[in-house]
Amino acid sequence: MTTAASALALVAVLAAAGIVFGRRALLLVNLVRAGKPVQRFDDLPARVRSEAVVVLGQKKLFQRLVPGLIHAFIFWGFLVLFPTIVMAMIGAVSKGHSIPWLGSQGWFAFLVDLFCVLVLVGVAGAFWIRKVQKPERFKGSHKGEADLILLWIAGIVLSLLLWHASRIALGLNEYPAGWSPLANAISNAFGTGTTTEALERAFVWAHLLLVLGFLAYLPHSKHLHIMTAAVNVWFGRTRARGRLEPLDFTIEDESAMRFGSNTIADMTWKQMVDTMSCTECGRCQDVCPAYATGKELSPKLLIMGLRDQLFAEGPSLLSGADFQPSPLVPNAVSDEVVWDCVTCGACVQECPVAIEHVDHIVDLRRHLVMVEGRFPSEGETMLRDVERSQNPWGKPQAERADWTEGLGVRVLQPGEPPPEVLYWVGCAASFDERARVTAQSTAKLMQAAGVDFAILGPRECCTGDPARRMGNEYTYQSYAQQNVATMNEAGVTKIVASCPHCFNTLANEYPDFGGRYEVVHHTELLTQLLEEGRLQPAAGTEEITYHDSCYLARHNDVLAAPRAIVSRIGRPLEMARSGKRTFCCGAGGAHMWLEERGNQINEERAREAAETGASTLAVACPFCTIMLDDGARQNGSELRVADVATLLAEAMGEGETPVTA
Amino acid sequence: MNLVLVEHTEGAPTDVSLQALALAAGLGGETHALLIGPGAVEAAATVPVAVAHVAEHPSLQAFAPDAWASIICTLAERLGASAVIAPGSGPATDAMARAAVRLGEPLAANVTAITPGSPLLLTRVRWGGSLLEEARLHSGRALLTVAPHSVAALAPAAPGSVETLTPELADADLVVQVRDRVAPPAGGVSLADAKVVVTGGRGVGSAEGFAPVEELAALLGGAVGCSRAVTMSGWRPHTDQVGQTGNKIAPDIYIACGVSGATQHIAGTKGAKRILAVNTDPEAPIMSVADYAVIGDLHEVLPAVSAELRRRRG
Repeated sequence: MTTAASALALVAVLAAAGIVFGRRALLLVNLVRAGKPVQRFDDLPARVRSEAVVVLGQKKLFQRLVPGLIHAFIFWGFLVLFPTIVMAMIGAVSKGHSIPWLGSQGWFAFLVDLFCVLVLVGVAGAFWIRKVQKPERFKGSHKGEADLILLWIAGIVLSLLLWHASRIALGLNEYPAGWSPLANAISNAFGTGTTTEALERAFVWAHLLLVLGFLAYLPHSKHLHIMTAAVNVWFGRTRARGRLEPLDFTIEDESAMRFGSNTIADMTWKQMVDTMSCTECGRCQDVCPAYATGKELSPKLLIMGLRDQLFAEGPSLLSGADFQPSPLVPNAVSDEVVWDCVTCGACVQECPVAIEHVDHIVDLRRHLVMVEGRFPSEGETMLRDVERSQNPWGKPQAERADWTEGLGVRVLQPGEPPPEVLYWVGCAASFDERARVTAQSTAKLMQAAGVDFAILGPRECCTGDPARRMGNEYTYQSYAQQNVATMNEAGVTKIVASCPHCFNTLANEYPDFGGRYEVVHHTELLTQLLEEGRLQPAAGTEEITYHDSCYLARHNDVLAAPRAIVSRIGRPLEMARSGKRTFCCGAGGAHMWLEERGNQINEERAREAAETGASTLAVACPFCTIMLDDGARQNGSELRVADVATLLAEAMGEGETPVTA
Repeated sequence: MNLVLVEHTEGAPTDVSLQALALAAGLGGETHALLIGPGAVEAAATVPVAVAHVAEHPSLQAFAPDAWASIICTLAERLGASAVIAPGSGPATDAMARAAVRLGEPLAANVTAITPGSPLLLTRVRWGGSLLEEARLHSGRALLTVAPHSVAALAPAAPGSVETLTPELADADLVVQVRDRVAPPAGGVSLADAKVVVTGGRGVGSAEGFAPVEELAALLGGAVGCSRAVTMSGWRPHTDQVGQTGNKIAPDIYIACGVSGATQHIAGTKGAKRILAVNTDPEAPIMSVADYAVIGDLHEVLPAVSAELRRRRG
């Protein structure tokens, strides 16, 4: 072919690939532009940081070393080899030319050679995982499509290598051939005659056609994540992962008010990009406590279901005609799936592309609960009790401070000067027999250390968290406003909370309602008191394993403080799933008040704790206390479940607190 | 004019239907009634409306919601009714939901008050009675059901006239029909209504271990319940569970055997007048809510109590 003919051919294939790619890309972009608003444009430095760490650094993928390396080889290879696409285009038109300067650099030739190998190693490794290891996490994914994509990538890299080899054989390389040892070695297989010249043409065109074909195929496949993942990570949550986006009930135009997600038309644009970013790797499914105990929910299949419906109905939605999109529940996901979730966020923590599964679940619940009144019937008692009795168990509010009997804890009365620290006890520690022990221990420890604190007593109400996680945003917001008003009026500046769910709500969600306080968890305050020498516990030899609460560890990064206490009073043992990759106790997302269907999450976790050989399971959450204590008993295990504060109080010689067996 | 679906039993309109008529009267204009099924003619004689329409058809012996929906739609269209109102009972709500789909109109269920106008202003009960919703109803033909016992009923009185109609029913209208009515099993006492409830907890030890619990309940004419731990162990079905996520009970005396008294369990026993706990552990949380307690093994205590009951009864 002449140069002109080659140029024409190149323009033609570029245009063809561009049109196929562009039409699909335009649809996706228009869908996202039609998404409901959500604020994700603040916090620029944090976004740059997560792009560097999560995308370039592949941090989330390296949570699993081998699959992480495999992916990193292919991904980094994609970045390094990117200029070779331009080189191939130039070379296809005029074989004597390449990108000025870069094309003649030996180091770049070496990098290309190296990453060709690494990508091929990555592809081989991926096939080994998929065909030999066959991990459970791929169940339900499009496996055939994945194989095709892997083969395609291998084809792209092999054709590039062969093209380079043939160029070296023909002496077309502008860099010293020694810089690309592999291509150089392969070049020995070629002669210098017309056959090699023809092969060189064939290789470069094969390479270009594979690359452009891939480009056209991409937006139609699950491999779309190449384009969307970096975008999704950029717009991911930057802080306060435990915070839910509040619904705005104050909008003048009621038709613009959003009550969660009913159809694809209600999804936020970030939620849409979420679904477009999923490449079905199944890491979320692997860590999901609901899935692990045989429930219908798989976070992966949830996102895939939403994506399929978005793509199926998206074009009609955009056409602007009288199109009524169908409900997401039960078409994209079943009711069961929506209610199986414990909002523990393990899936979000695991996801390499910043998909926020919990937000999808909560938005689906919001619609079901607030618009349709459709939810597991046993949850109604809790919602009614929260509304009527200010706590989820329907206990008389007047009994809220009964746990303080004989302790001399100050109950802050209206008009009194605020204490240095407000102790937010929470409903569980106020009313539940087992959780009360935690409140009593914490109070005694603060008294021993001379902390100036008080409680609100009957003026403290449920934070609204269980109602909110169940989808009842109305009830939640009315409590948020009421509690914030109480505390602002009292002049509260610093809060210590015993319950990680209260802690999360107070610290991350009340600022949306004008409540801005310094909020710490009791383990953080107690650790500080230990460091300051204001508490002097006796060192013990008991083997203690600490269970991270999801809302403390994963949603709020409180990992060190409870461990600091445990290691002061006993010998710590870690469970396999700990820290930010902890396994839920089963109570989150309002599941404390729902019936679990099938195998019990709490029994699974209590078993894991017992397997460490520890005699005591330390916790830092009243729900974890109740759930894991139940789980241990159900397993017939001797494991003692107690809050870190209770264990510390005992080590201080304050152990006369009644501890229920 | 407004059309009211009137349900009837034993030849008289139901109370809830008379309440629906009262709500309809508040809309102004003439009110017509529609009565369907056996006994409709007799009942029509005491429905206080301008015209009572009685639908007669051999296939209407049993309740068939689609057939009712078909009749409602046909009559409403023929009369040009601006509103169709039904009592908020199970069958009427079922039929109205189907009628709404056929007419392509929204259905506002559980209405307690109406302000006439366009759109209609409605108050309706939501959330199992815990919320009242103020709503505006935009529709060509208002379809409403009335929340039972929220409006004073009209007194029964003779209608202006009675007209009989014979509806045309398709086979598809009769696919769903009531075939049989089954009374709840006799003899057993439901947990919710029982005057005496005896529950077993983890301390019972096994499914077979419930024998003394069942024996005592039978002697006292009470019902048997259980805690969540028991359900989780598969010893008894979830329908027996007492607690936050199970049955709420309100007996005169609640006997809790081998139940630790977790908050989630106690939340279902708030209605109990007296609580007697039988437990080996004097520190168990159940003790803090119990009025009486026996510290001991239920497998020894309960048979002794049952034996004494038998002895005294001779």
